[in-house]
Amino acid sequence: MKKIISILLVIMTISLFTGCSTKEKDEAVDKTTVEEKNSTEDTDEAKPAAKDEVVHIKLFTGKVETVDLMNEIIDEFNGLHPNIVVEQEFQKDASNVIKVKFASDDVPDITTVVTQEYIDQGKYIDLSNEKWWDRIQPAIKDMCTDVKSGKQYRVASNMTMAGLFYNKAIFDELGIDEARTWKDFEGDLAKIKESKADVVPLFMAGKDSWTLGHLIEFVAHGVIKQTYGVTESKKAFLANDDSKLQFGAEGGPMDSFASVILSGKDKKLFNDDFLTATYDNQVEMFANGEAAIISQGMWALSNIIEKNPDMAEKIGFMPYPAITDSTEPVILSAEDSAYAITAATKHQKEAKEFLDYLFESKNLKKYSESIKSPCAFKDVDADWGPIKEQVNNALSNGVNIGFTNECPSGFSGDDAGRMVQELYAGQYKATIDFAKAYKEVWDKAWNASN
Amino acid sequence: MFLRNKIVSKLHNFMILPAFILFFIFFIYPLIKGIGLSLTDYDGMTKANFIGLKNFVDFFHDSRAKNDVINTVLFALGSAPLLNIFGFLYALLLDSKFKGKSIARTIIYLPAVVSPLIMGYIWYFILQPQRGFLFSTLARLGLDLTNFNWLGNRYMALWVIIVVNVWQFVGMTMVVYLAGLQSIPEEMHEAGKIDGATYWQRIRYIVLPMMIQPIKINVTTNIIGSLSVFEIIMALTDGGPGYSTESLSIYIMRMCYGSSTGYSTAVAIILFLIILLPVLISLKLMKSKEYDV
Repeated sequence: MKKIISILLVIMTISLFTGCSTKEKDEAVDKTTVEEKNSTEDTDEAKPAAKDEVVHIKLFTGKVETVDLMNEIIDEFNGLHPNIVVEQEFQKDASNVIKVKFASDDVPDITTVVTQEYIDQGKYIDLSNEKWWDRIQPAIKDMCTDVKSGKQYRVASNMTMAGLFYNKAIFDELGIDEARTWKDFEGDLAKIKESKADVVPLFMAGKDSWTLGHLIEFVAHGVIKQTYGVTESKKAFLANDDSKLQFGAEGGPMDSFASVILSGKDKKLFNDDFLTATYDNQVEMFANGEAAIISQGMWALSNIIEKNPDMAEKIGFMPYPAITDSTEPVILSAEDSAYAITAATKHQKEAKEFLDYLFESKNLKKYSESIKSPCAFKDVDADWGPIKEQVNNALSNGVNIGFTNECPSGFSGDDAGRMVQELYAGQYKATIDFAKAYKEVWDKAWNASN
Repeated sequence: MFLRNKIVSKLHNFMILPAFILFFIFFIYPLIKGIGLSLTDYDGMTKANFIGLKNFVDFFHDSRAKNDVINTVLFALGSAPLLNIFGFLYALLLDSKFKGKSIARTIIYLPAVVSPLIMGYIWYFILQPQRGFLFSTLARLGLDLTNFNWLGNRYMALWVIIVVNVWQFVGMTMVVYLAGLQSIPEEMHEAGKIDGATYWQRIRYIVLPMMIQPIKINVTTNIIGSLSVFEIIMALTDGGPGYSTESLSIYIMRMCYGSSTGYSTAVAIILFLIILLPVLISLKLMKSKEYDV
């Protein structure tokens, strides 16, 4: 019996290997066919697929807000193009997952994840000569332009804004106007605190470090961005030009930022659970009228209205008040939903064909109205949201800044947000210590990647 | 014929083959590959360059890594002993005769079958200071403790995580001890009683010496589990506030995603050694006390 079992086990093991090797062989044959197929294709601009060949295009995204809508658009596109099958892959942690994809050669054809690091590594194709640009706002084209090469590797379909959402009803009731300086803003928050015991003046979602990272990006880096303008500040970030960045300087952007955060903490102008509240809590509190002000982007708008449709009429939107004497209020006005085609794709033509379809006016209108964000294309007139007027006012009342895409790769927005957590949790004795620590971490990450 | 008989008679030796292959594929190969990667500046994208032991040297100059080592060791020093003490006490309690023993065992063991990530989120929703179940219930009862922001306090948060971890896995430790207790012959207890030994004297002189094997299993698995803690921290605090509860496992993951694949692999190897050291010491210490029934 023992011998029979032994023989059976050995046969099983051998057959397992035989099975594997057969499969390997099959795969090798398939691979060869694909490689042969690819080798006949032009490396710069892929040739169209054979007449009856079905081309599969993978669209990789981290934008949860657009998943359903994109599936709808993709279904329509696939129906109209029998030879192309576009498939969408959504990953919550897309910016990290794509690294694994690049490393394992599981590269998508189109992606919404674009960073300077990948642009430098030649991971995307140059889209500078595409016909879309004639229809796009020039400011958005500038934001999509790579500072180093002057080329466009991504194309944005929309614009996004970030600033302070406020409850207009509370502001009107207490006679509060939009503040231009942080000192005035603190006065308004104090007024809300005194008059409305059950309302949090400024609600922060500190457990999700990205929300705090955004504060650094918009409020602290905003000082640099408005002082030097979009292109010059991008160059300063890329070159780690300390004469402009002044991260560790007394009275510099980081020191001033730390001061306003700690001042708000001391005066109890934020929620008590600053460090444990989440983005969902923040949206819910604002939608329910329990938070007077939150710092968020347009992406939060649909969630707020979904939770409380009555809130649509009460939402105000203002720039971040200036944190230093020499600066103005700032508002993020940036490219959103940027698409890039990867250099590794064998189906450039089909990928562009899909983007052509996506950028048709009717689809962009649908897209813009769905995510409640202004369209970047000049020929699209979309009724994108109930706070269109407030956003236009905010854009004219504040200095428009963009995202800091030029951070060193080892120092993400999350890392910056964690430093704000440390600041709030009392890890730094003085605000200048926070500023110096920020500079140290930034320099270390910059040196590691340069 | 002789050769055939010889091969057939040795055939059972090949039974180890599938296990060995799996061990090689999932342990030996990644280990060798990992050691190779740890000696490079691989960023997950571009070509890796050999940099010798630089990553290991950098680790000792990395203040965040030092902070994470301290967090990890503190977590293990808190978790592993508590798991063993409470696991053993629960086992003693549930080894005695009382009504509802099976239900009590199930209740204590139940949290261990749930994913630590889910359990972490459940406790997060319980312990959130303003809107969590615990504090809002206490507030309704007139006891307002919403200022006890345990998860947002950089000194308290780690201890809260330890307590939640012990609560979740004490059942698993208990089961191993319970099995050990039930393997002790009843005659031994009877003999102890006849000799006039008290309950605690029987535990000290009869039970404990015969429980070395379960203790060895529990101590080893709890040290390994505690030093490689990941999910429960991610769910409860995400390593925050700041980095005050970040463990070395989380740091490895973040470094890997932060384009420092080579460095994160080096840290993973260091973590492997950090785990190996106390495990070997504890096994060595317990070997001298081994006692066979």
